[in-house]
Amino acid sequence: MDPKDEQRLARVFEEIATYGLYEEALTASPGELGHIHLPLVRNVLRQHRETVRCVEEGIPYAASYFTDAPEIFTAMDLHWYHLIAQSFGGGGENIHMMDDLEGVDKLAVANDVCTLLRLALYYLDAGVLPMPTVLVALNEPCDGVIGLHEALRRHKEWRHLPVFTPDPPYFSDDRSIEYFADELKRMVEFLTKHTGKTLDTGRLREVVEETNKQYALWVEYDELRRSVPCPHGYKLAMAPFSLVQTAGAGDPEHTQWYSDLVADAEMRIQQNRPEVPNQKIRLLWFDVQPIWFDSLAPWLEAEWGAIVVLCMFGYAPYTQIDTSTEDSMFSGLAKRNLIDPPMVRQARGVADNFLSDIARIVKDYSIDVVVWPGHMGHKDGAASVSLMREACRDLGVAFLTIGVDQFDNRYTTIDQMKDRMSQFFTAMGLG
Amino acid sequence: MTIGGCDVGSATGKAVVMKDGEIVSYVIIPSTTKPEVTARTVMDQAIEQAGLKSIEDLDYIVGTGYGRLKVPFASENISEITCHARGAQWLSPSVRTVVDIGGQDCKVMSLDDKGKVLEFVMNDRCAAGTGRFFEAMARVLDCGLEGLSELSLRGKNPAPITSQCSVFAESEVVTLVNEGVELADIVAGLHASIASRLNSMVRKVGLVEDVALTGGCAKNEGLAKALEEKLGVAVKRLPKDPQIAGAIGAALIAKEKANGQQ
Amino acid sequence: METQIRSKSFEAFAEAAETLANPIVQEWKEKGGKVVGYFCTAVPDEIITAAGLLPFRMRATGSTSTEESDAFYSSINCSFPRHCFNSALIGEFKFLDGVICVNSCDHVRRIYDNWKRFVPIDFIEVMSFPRKTGPDQVEWYRQELQMIRDKLAEQFGVQITDDALWKAIKTHNETRRLQKKLYELRKQERPPITGAETLAVMVAGTAMPKEKYNAMLRELLDELSGKEGTGTHRARVMIVGGILDDPAYVKVIEDQGGLVVTDSLCFGTRIMWVQVDENASDPISALSQYYVADRPTCPRTYGEHDTRTGYVEDMAREFNVDGIIGERLMFCDSWTVEHYMLSQDLKVDGIPFLKLDREYVTGGIGQLRTRVQAFLETMGR
Repeated sequence: MDPKDEQRLARVFEEIATYGLYEEALTASPGELGHIHLPLVRNVLRQHRETVRCVEEGIPYAASYFTDAPEIFTAMDLHWYHLIAQSFGGGGENIHMMDDLEGVDKLAVANDVCTLLRLALYYLDAGVLPMPTVLVALNEPCDGVIGLHEALRRHKEWRHLPVFTPDPPYFSDDRSIEYFADELKRMVEFLTKHTGKTLDTGRLREVVEETNKQYALWVEYDELRRSVPCPHGYKLAMAPFSLVQTAGAGDPEHTQWYSDLVADAEMRIQQNRPEVPNQKIRLLWFDVQPIWFDSLAPWLEAEWGAIVVLCMFGYAPYTQIDTSTEDSMFSGLAKRNLIDPPMVRQARGVADNFLSDIARIVKDYSIDVVVWPGHMGHKDGAASVSLMREACRDLGVAFLTIGVDQFDNRYTTIDQMKDRMSQFFTAMGLG
Repeated sequence: MTIGGCDVGSATGKAVVMKDGEIVSYVIIPSTTKPEVTARTVMDQAIEQAGLKSIEDLDYIVGTGYGRLKVPFASENISEITCHARGAQWLSPSVRTVVDIGGQDCKVMSLDDKGKVLEFVMNDRCAAGTGRFFEAMARVLDCGLEGLSELSLRGKNPAPITSQCSVFAESEVVTLVNEGVELADIVAGLHASIASRLNSMVRKVGLVEDVALTGGCAKNEGLAKALEEKLGVAVKRLPKDPQIAGAIGAALIAKEKANGQQ
Repeated sequence: METQIRSKSFEAFAEAAETLANPIVQEWKEKGGKVVGYFCTAVPDEIITAAGLLPFRMRATGSTSTEESDAFYSSINCSFPRHCFNSALIGEFKFLDGVICVNSCDHVRRIYDNWKRFVPIDFIEVMSFPRKTGPDQVEWYRQELQMIRDKLAEQFGVQITDDALWKAIKTHNETRRLQKKLYELRKQERPPITGAETLAVMVAGTAMPKEKYNAMLRELLDELSGKEGTGTHRARVMIVGGILDDPAYVKVIEDQGGLVVTDSLCFGTRIMWVQVDENASDPISALSQYYVADRPTCPRTYGEHDTRTGYVEDMAREFNVDGIIGERLMFCDSWTVEHYMLSQDLKVDGIPFLKLDREYVTGGIGQLRTRVQAFLETMGR
């Protein structure tokens, strides 16, 4: 392999090694939830190995996002990796995090820009982003992500790449869905032109039908998390996202995993044996789970009996896609990728998108506290806090905002967060 | 030709008298609330020490620093960025990167071999890493500014100070003291955290050796060592009081202006 | 505003830049006229003019605090919408009969959500502006414009005919032509108008009926043509950035000796360097084509960075600029990454560049002076 490519894959190789160890450990002693965690670990390994294989064998692959209809990529047999998530790959520990953050501090970009984006800029400069054949850039939900992709496309080493960007309309009506469906069709034309891979309608139908099953099971799983007590802890709240919104989406083997997840939850409810005992406070963590969550969430569970029932990435209001025609599939995919997916769903458009979710979730999941972590990168969210607070007041549910950096806990330290949350719970008479 | 440079900062006023390319006298005094008073006082003292009779004996004077617009006897004023760079480079010709830590701001400049500034980065938005910050810490720990330096050098396990803001860092320090953490380790931690910030600023401008520290806080050996660790290169210690680098630069520019070179 | 310019028009322009509802706007209202405010240059004010209404580009001129809006915005939000919304909450925008918003940036787009709930107004709409400049996006925005045309017509009980639109386009194009002429005067070695004065003229152009403005601007051009500036300066400077509407900020830069001779700004060349095509098949299509694709972009639009750098460098060359100042409002993601990239580009091409962070309400003048002065000194000026 070209040494430059080795360098670009350096983090991927590391993750493969780390996840290999997880795989060994889980195989040796699976514990009660081994059969749930193991497929997730294997999925990360499979994706990373596929990236390496594409580089080694010169097979075309893409840098893309979960909002670009992963089903299409599977149907076109086109591998892709999630560019912006390079800092936390499959959700594992990034052992370079402190150094990476210091690297970020040295960029001539103001530190009021979302750290996730600055990390990606740093990785770009440091040459540790795998170089794809094509780049499907992201232009939503925020301003910063546009700047990041502009920096990618003009970088002297990335300039030669063909780039396509689906344009996200601001609204969620039928007209917007049709427009985005057309954008996805244009994306397919672009992908075919530059990778030689084609989209066969029959194959797409197969993939979408399989993901339909998986999303249906995810919805079932979420319904089970409505139970009091909640059957599983915080990690599994976000787990369903990682099989159906990553490369290889629509793999029939994954459907079994969703069934197993549902079965385990059902069993725990029947036996009244939740994964986390002594639950007292039900939280909605209204954002992605931060990279340092393992330092906070277990403490919440142990100290306060506070369980993260749902987070943004675990919330699955996904509708089933009508697979009768190619057009109906593209419309369905447009809806699934523009209106349903986490964060994009809330932050892309008007503030009502935040508020309607809060209202639904609070009622359906018996939420005690809505937590808006207040990530420093969410500028539109920061301007919506009073609206969220008011919505919570109307619902009679407690609302807490902290002010954090979801990727850098030097901004607000774990201790400061624990303090803040403890004071809040006490003041609200919770727990 | 006898020339003067007057650097009116927020914490201290500095004046330098130079003749025939040599420093004849220099004075550092604490600033008063009126920059024009500080300027006159420090310049008068420097003139007296130079054995001159009055300010008219100076052929040209350049003012710099935070209060540079209020130096009534200066023929003109130049930014402290330009002056610190010139001054540092005159003191040590191999210097190409200057880290200036003043009373209320800190800046990093990259310069060419003539002391001309190529790029600069300033932090004048918050106190972290400025003279004020160290003063506050010295107060909290009741050890004086020299004490800070000594303690820092003795710290074997620098305590991590995570607060980005100097006000919160103060509370963090108090907490650590109450928890019984070694004073030396706390202070070493403080210096490490400031050095980290300075390191970021240096990287934004580009690190080119030699690196020099100027400003009042440059005399803090503990800080210099902490910075060396972060940068990974040695910091050149300037042969004269680094606090007068700005005034020296101002005087050098005064000479050029008097000679009609600029 | 201190000035050597004697023209009465300029006096009126300076006043318009220092106020919200200037005397001309007040007169318009007294005569029964209606005013529609709009956020962002992506909103075609031609449509508002064609409806017989007065388009008013939103600013928070005169705002001194964000006390009221702090409850709605956070400390990590940009000061421009915070001040605008504060002004709205305390009733400074009572003279508006409507507001049109657009999804320009994360901070400003939330004005729509907050305003519609908390500030009484008869008409408030938001449009979806594309992020690319291709024909499909022009078509999308054409539909958006058609919808806003219909909504305005319904709300204000008027017909907005194609003829009325063409007439408005011609008038606004004339504004652009005259403003460009004004800028051309700044190419000379001693421009007859400073950057601060020019900004006042440009801001005024968004705060009064265009026909009246055009007549006044012609009068100003008459005075200035063939004239030479009397001031001295050390360097010719260009400002690149977003919403800068305060001549006082530019004046601080110019007082250090950096004469601002051109720019790429929201209240600068980006709104007038290019004309709307008057030969297109229909006016709404012409407007969409212009606003999405033809006019100079800002970093909100994706894929155009190289074009923007080219635009800046061409402009710098045309105006014989010695150095470029890139300004951005704090917390602005779009402009900080843009300047990050632009500074790399300009370094390669050897053009001196200074980055400045600012707040919407001009403050910290001492710090601004120091940076600008140091910048001019590094240019050897």
